[in-house]
Amino acid sequence: MLTLRNVTVRYGNFAAADQVSFSLEAGQWLMLAGPNGAGKSTLIEAVTRGVRYEGEILLEGRDIREIRPRQLARTVGVLSQKNAAGYAYTVEEVVRMGRYAYGDGFLSPRDREGREKVEEALEMTGLTALRHAPVTRLSGGETQRTFLAQVFAQDPRLLLLDEPANHLDLPYQRQIFSLIGEWLKAPGRGVISVVHDLALARMYGTHAVLLDRGKCVARGTVDGVLTPENLQRVYHMDVYAWMRETLGKWQS
Amino acid sequence: MSRKTVALFLCLLLALPMTGALAEEPAVVVTDMYGREIALAAPAQRVVALTAADCEILCALGCGDALVGRGEYCDYPESILAVPVVQSGAETNIEEILALEPQVVLMGDMAQSRDQVDMLEQNGVKVVVSNAEDIAGTYTAIRMIGQLMGKDAEAEALIADMQATFDDIRAKSENTSKTVYFEVSPLEWGLWAAGKNTFMDELAGICGLTNAFADVEGWGEVSQEQVIARDPDYIVTTTLYYGEGPTPVEEVMSRAGWEGMKAIQSGRVYNADSNAVSRPGPRLKDAVLELYNFINGTDAEEPAA
Amino acid sequence: MKKHREHFSAGAYGLFILAFVGTALLCVCLGSVPISLRDTVACLWNGLWGTEIPAGIAKNIILNVRLPRVLNVALCGAALSLCGAAMQGLLQNPLADGSTLGVSSGASLGAVIALALGVTGASGGVMGMAMGFAFLSLLLILGLAYALDKSLSTNSIILIGVIYSMFVSSILTLIISFSGEKLRTITFWTMGSLSGTNYGHAGLLSLFLALCGGVILGHARELNAFAMGEDNARHIGVNIRRVKLTILIAVSVLIGVCVSIAGNIGFVGLVIPHMARMIAGPNHKRLLPASLFSGAVFLMLCDLAARTVLSPIELNIGVVTSLVGAIAFVTIFYRAGKGRDRGC
Repeated sequence: MLTLRNVTVRYGNFAAADQVSFSLEAGQWLMLAGPNGAGKSTLIEAVTRGVRYEGEILLEGRDIREIRPRQLARTVGVLSQKNAAGYAYTVEEVVRMGRYAYGDGFLSPRDREGREKVEEALEMTGLTALRHAPVTRLSGGETQRTFLAQVFAQDPRLLLLDEPANHLDLPYQRQIFSLIGEWLKAPGRGVISVVHDLALARMYGTHAVLLDRGKCVARGTVDGVLTPENLQRVYHMDVYAWMRETLGKWQS
Repeated sequence: MSRKTVALFLCLLLALPMTGALAEEPAVVVTDMYGREIALAAPAQRVVALTAADCEILCALGCGDALVGRGEYCDYPESILAVPVVQSGAETNIEEILALEPQVVLMGDMAQSRDQVDMLEQNGVKVVVSNAEDIAGTYTAIRMIGQLMGKDAEAEALIADMQATFDDIRAKSENTSKTVYFEVSPLEWGLWAAGKNTFMDELAGICGLTNAFADVEGWGEVSQEQVIARDPDYIVTTTLYYGEGPTPVEEVMSRAGWEGMKAIQSGRVYNADSNAVSRPGPRLKDAVLELYNFINGTDAEEPAA
Repeated sequence: MKKHREHFSAGAYGLFILAFVGTALLCVCLGSVPISLRDTVACLWNGLWGTEIPAGIAKNIILNVRLPRVLNVALCGAALSLCGAAMQGLLQNPLADGSTLGVSSGASLGAVIALALGVTGASGGVMGMAMGFAFLSLLLILGLAYALDKSLSTNSIILIGVIYSMFVSSILTLIISFSGEKLRTITFWTMGSLSGTNYGHAGLLSLFLALCGGVILGHARELNAFAMGEDNARHIGVNIRRVKLTILIAVSVLIGVCVSIAGNIGFVGLVIPHMARMIAGPNHKRLLPASLFSGAVFLMLCDLAARTVLSPIELNIGVVTSLVGAIAFVTIFYRAGKGRDRGC
């Protein structure tokens, strides 16, 4: 459903992403992995048209540059690493904004479907009880769930996640990832997520793209990409040994 | 060391300050308006004047040639426009002044004046401060500048002339209960009026008029509705006319809501030279004459009610 | 649980209009010259229906001085406050104000250049230049921000706006020091005054408030999206470049008109949206109308104080708004801070 062909993103003379190509099919959960500065988040930005890029990004066969913002938002949803609403909107107001792309622009959508999607999203994320709480009073986990609910209400087919659980406590991390796993079960959906944690990547991902300094090092299934050799090349250390060592402490 | 040499040495030592004193015997001693005594060996030959009024006084005393520098707002009489300009006021440029090598700097009284005086005097320039706030103060300033320039007789003559004019007009004017409103800015920028303790207020008194805003101290922005309600007999505006659009008098006459006022209905609106009516200098005499002529001229033309 | 609605109910709007009309009447009735309530009402009533009013001081003061001024003050307050609310939402910055963009400074610059060149006769020259420069300033700031950062990000716009304001104020000082005789006029202008405003000004303000205010009110949803974060707005499908440009133009035109008529009036655009947010919440569908009405009411009351407290002396309205506004602002922040402490 999404294809990147030779995508390059430049900040001045620096190429944050350099000739990256990969594609995603429905039902896949693709992990963008790699060390800091590999260009993972930059690629997410490019797909949401947040940065200028060279090359081609096709969404269901159409160049995304030709898709109007609302249209794009009905297909692609994003959950970013950091979401902070500075103003005291209620949880419900934030979630309802997810329906923006379906409104006619001037009036808020009065459609039954929209209301149902919002209710559904609140329920899925367990926020029904908090719906009137101001987002400025929420914990980090609750805030991320609120924006996850927003993106569920947006009802896209492709979900882009930029380290959505990065600074969250473990239970929240698990919660967010299993919610997304549930969401992906419906047909015709796909997920691309940026992850730091290689253990999480192997646990949830079906496919992976390994990046290093803007360049694509490997792509394919998770197991085919995150091999000891590839990781050694990118991280300059024996990741497998390290993982076993750390996990070994939990075996007893 | 012999006694002779010691005695001679002592004599020399004693004589030193005396010779100094002899050489610097001041010919001119002026008390400025801060109450400081300024002594000069001879009447000043090179003067920088920072205030417009002091420039006018200097020229009226026939000392225009002694003026080697003028403050930026000094623009009268025209003969001084060729004199180099120095920055005055809060940003007075001490360097510029020193470069003109004046013997004396005449400056006004401002918040920063004390520091500026100190700095100039440290550099060997005498500073005389003038600070006239009313007509009597203006006489003092004229007398002081006359002394400074060695023109005492001319100063007394100038004062006498001004006094005579004021007395004459005071005598000719009967004390009516008529009121005058002095406006120092057009309506567009808010109405600023001259109140009590301004030259305009004093001039009005000489002409037998009462300032409509005598309850305002100095200059103040007054309510438009207060002007309408107080309904003065005369309106004097000092707005400058730049040669475009309606003249200040036309602008006053055409204001909405003012049409019922006495001064508007009888056309007793007058555009005064703002510098003549606000500078503590010899032109106060001209200002009072103009004001008198305006009052009586328009009175004469007034149709019988 | 009660139904959660986004808009104000008709009843709330009725209350706003009531408060607005009530304040306007109060401000027309009170002034530095006491006029009896009966005369005031008679003047207004007859003026409204175009019937003959006995000529007199009451008629002149009420219909020619107070009423046009109160109308202009109300319209300026509404416009400035609306602009402030829109900027604060658009830039996700509770400290944003029309002046943060440099639009107010730009408008002042235009007006002062008009004065320095001597087009003081009619206010048309000054107003035209103020509006033109407000718009040019906007284009310049956006152009620079775009050159710096293609996404027109919030931080670069505010940064450039602040730098531009400083630059303009130095240019203003420069012009004033070269202007010699005209200095006094220009100094008066930069202080701003509503005392000479007439029905013509009020008409102009209403026209631009209807046009630009309409555009701003029509973008309430987009402003909500921006207020939740610019990236988030893009992700949910807002055409951020177009929306931002539209709102910035509407704001700059409106501020240009206000500045050319009333001079720079500070704090209204900053404080009123804050107060409105405390009452109506952050949702722009309520916040924008609430800011509109409370801005009008606030500035009318400030002007009333400016006109009457030291009668017959009139205070500059900017002095009153800054005085009241600064205290209100500190109070809001103090209370907000305390509230946050309790909440966590």
